[in-house]
Amino acid sequence: MSLFGANTGFGSGGTGVFGTTTTDSHNPMKDVEVTSPPDDSISCLAFSPPTMPGNFLIGGSWANDVRCWEVQDNGQTVPKAQQMHTGPVLDVCWSDDGSKVFTASCDKTAKMWDLNSNQTIQIAQHEGPIRTIHWIKAPNYSCVMTGSWDKTLKFWDTRSPNPMMSLQMPERCFCADVVYPMAVVATAERGLIVYQLENQPSEFRRIESPLKHQHRCVAIFKDKQSKPTGFALGSIEGRVAIHYINPPNPAKDNFTFKCHRSNGTNTATPQDIYAVNAISFHPVHGTLATVGSDGRFSFWDKDARTKLKTSEQLDQPITACCFNNNGNIFAYASSYDWSKGHEYYNPQKKNYIFLRNAAEELKPRNKK
Amino acid sequence: MTVCNFFLQGRCRYGEKCWNEHPRDERGGDYRGTQQPSRGGYGNRVWINPSQRTGGDYVQPSSFSRDGDNDWSRGGGGADVKSSDFSFSGQNRFSALASHSHSDKDVQSPTDDVDTIQKDMEIWQTSGQWPFSCYSVLPGKLSGFVEVSPEELRLEYYTGRASGDLQAYMNSVQQLADQWRSRVQELRTMSSSTRISVISELNDPSSQTSTHEFGSSASGFGTTSSSSSSSSGFGAGGLFWIQSEILGNGTNYISDFFLIYPHASGFGSGAFAQPPSGFSAPAASAASFSFAGPAADNKSSAAAASSSVSAFSFKPPPGGSSGPADGGGFGQSSTRAADTGLFSAHSDLTAEELKEFTAKRFTLGQIPLKPPPADLLVV
Repeated sequence: MSLFGANTGFGSGGTGVFGTTTTDSHNPMKDVEVTSPPDDSISCLAFSPPTMPGNFLIGGSWANDVRCWEVQDNGQTVPKAQQMHTGPVLDVCWSDDGSKVFTASCDKTAKMWDLNSNQTIQIAQHEGPIRTIHWIKAPNYSCVMTGSWDKTLKFWDTRSPNPMMSLQMPERCFCADVVYPMAVVATAERGLIVYQLENQPSEFRRIESPLKHQHRCVAIFKDKQSKPTGFALGSIEGRVAIHYINPPNPAKDNFTFKCHRSNGTNTATPQDIYAVNAISFHPVHGTLATVGSDGRFSFWDKDARTKLKTSEQLDQPITACCFNNNGNIFAYASSYDWSKGHEYYNPQKKNYIFLRNAAEELKPRNKK
Repeated sequence: MTVCNFFLQGRCRYGEKCWNEHPRDERGGDYRGTQQPSRGGYGNRVWINPSQRTGGDYVQPSSFSRDGDNDWSRGGGGADVKSSDFSFSGQNRFSALASHSHSDKDVQSPTDDVDTIQKDMEIWQTSGQWPFSCYSVLPGKLSGFVEVSPEELRLEYYTGRASGDLQAYMNSVQQLADQWRSRVQELRTMSSSTRISVISELNDPSSQTSTHEFGSSASGFGTTSSSSSSSSGFGAGGLFWIQSEILGNGTNYISDFFLIYPHASGFGSGAFAQPPSGFSAPAASAASFSFAGPAADNKSSAAAASSSVSAFSFKPPPGGSSGPADGGGFGQSSTRAADTGLFSAHSDLTAEELKEFTAKRFTLGQIPLKPPPADLLVV
C-alpha cells in the first residue's frame, strides 16, 4: 500500500506511460488508466472489502460482462477474470468476506461469482431487470438484497431459489444503498423509502423527496460513531440532497446543493444541467464524491458545506465511481450514460476506468 | 462594482487593473472609468470573478449558496443554508446573502408555485437535462410527465437492436419527446385553463389519480394506500405504455396496454410478499414485446394462464373500486383485437363487452380488453 498511499508518482502527475498526448481530453486529470476496460459503458464499480488483502476492482458493463482487476500498489492494474450475463449488468457488490461477488443484470437474474473457483451460479430471479444488488450482513442473518424495475425488493439466501422476503415498492427501483442496519431505496416518481434491517428487513419510513426531479443515485453516510445517519440523493437535475434520518433540526440540517452544471455564476446564458450519475462517500473522511453526465467529478464536504475540488471535463460522461476500502483510491468510469439518447451513442468509442489517489484531496475542510 | 476580496486580504494580483473595486478610504475614486456605486460596501459581499479565479483550488461557496428556488425549504425538509456554515478566511461573506434572501417564501401561495413552475419549465427546456422525468412542486406532483430512466431507455434500444427492429424504439422515443415538449411548453406558457388545473393538482394531490393512471404516485406518499393502489399498478415497463400515456390527459382509459415487466405481485402498495414462483411463466416472452403495434404483442397473454398479469387493459372503474387485489385474472387468452382507433364501434364489441361497458361497474374477470365506444364514455 506504500506507493499508492503516499504522494509519489501515480495519479498525481502525468507519467507518460500510457502515451496520451496532452491535447487528448479523454483523461485530462492524467489519472491511471485501468487496462482492458469493458467494451461498452460501465454501469457500476466496486472495490473489494477490507477483509481481503490487496485491492480488487469489479466493474459491470453494458456489454453483459463483469470484469475483475487487481490493483497493485504501484498503480498497475492486472485483469484477472471475467464473467458474462445474458443482458447488461447494472450493479455489482462484494460479500463482506471478499470471496464472492454478486452481479445484477437486465436479464432479470442475479448471480453469485465465487472468485476462488471462478464459477457463477444464479441466486435470484425477478420479473424485470434487476437494478440494484447489495449484500447485507446482520448479526443473525446474511442475505442479498435486489431491487428491480418490477417494483419489488427481494432478499435472497444464496442457497435457496426462493426469496426469503419480498417487499413491494410503489414504483420501479432506481437506486439503493445499504449500510447495516439501514437501507435506502429511491424509486421512480420521486419515491424514497428507508428500511431498517435489524432482525429482518422492514419498511421504516417513506420520505417525501427533497428533490423535484427523477432520482438517480443514493448513498448512505455515517456519523462520527460510524452509524448510518442519513443519505445523499442525486437527481437528473444537477442537484444533490443531503438528508438526515433523525436530525435535531430538519430545516437546518437537511439541504440540497447544485452541482454538475455549466456556467457557474454567469446567469446570462442558460445553464446546462447534467444528471448526477453516482455518489460515493469516502470511507475515512466522510466527504463525498459526485460524478455527472458533464464528464466531471467533484469532491464535497457536506459538513462544512463546501466544494473541495472539481475535475477538468472529460470528453464522455462519468457513469460510476467508488472508493477503495481505505479511501486511498478513487475509481471513476468514463463512458456514455445515454443522457442524450441514442444519437450520441458511439459503440466504437473507447470506455475508460480511471484510478486516482484520493488520500489528500478528500480531506475535510476545517470549519472555522 | 463589486468589492475585490483579494484586495481586502491584501493580495490582489491585478492591482490597478483589477475589474473589481478596491475600496480606498476616500470613496470618490473612479476606477477604470466606471462610476457604479459599490454594492454592499466593505467586506460583506463575496464575489469570485470567474475570470480572475486561480485554478480550481478555491473553495467555491457559490455552489452551496442559496439557490434560486425556495420551495424545498419547506415540506421536503430542505434547509436555508446558514451563513455561519461557510467559513472562508474567517470572513462571514454570506451575511448579506443570508439577510435579504432569507426564505420569506416559507408559505408559498399558489401563484408563487405557478411562477416557480414556469421558471422551472424554462430552465428544463434550455438546460438540456434529461426530459423523461417526473416533476413536482411541493406538495403536489404535476401530471403529464412520463418517468423513464436512461437505463430503461437504453435497454429498449439494446433489445430493439438485438431483434433488428429499431424503428419501434425510435417511434416511441419520438412520441415521448413530443409529449414532453408539448407539456413543458404548456406549463411554461400557462394559459388560464392550465393554471387552474395545475393549482387544483397542487392543492389536492389525491385527486390526480382520477385523471392520470400512470405512474403518478402523488398519492403514493402520505396519502392512504387505497388511492395509491389504483395508480401504482401500472407503468412498470417505462416505455411500453406510452401509447396510452399519450391519450392520458383528456381520455381516462387506455386502448392498448403493453406491460413488459409483469409485476410479481399485482397492484398497489403494501407488502404482498407473494412468491414469484407463480409468475415466472412469461419471463422469456416479455423480452419479445414490441410496441410497434398491438398485433405484435399477444404472445405472453396467450401463454399466461391465469395468474400472470402480463397484459391487461384497465378502465378506471366507474364505481371507484380499486382493482383486483390479487393482481391476476385479466389474462384472457383470447387475443385482443388490433384496434387502430381510440374507441371501438358498437359492432366491434361482443354482447358481453357491451354489457360491461354499459353497466355501472365492471365485473371482475370480465372487463373488456377492447376500448369502449366513444358514446359510452362518461367524461
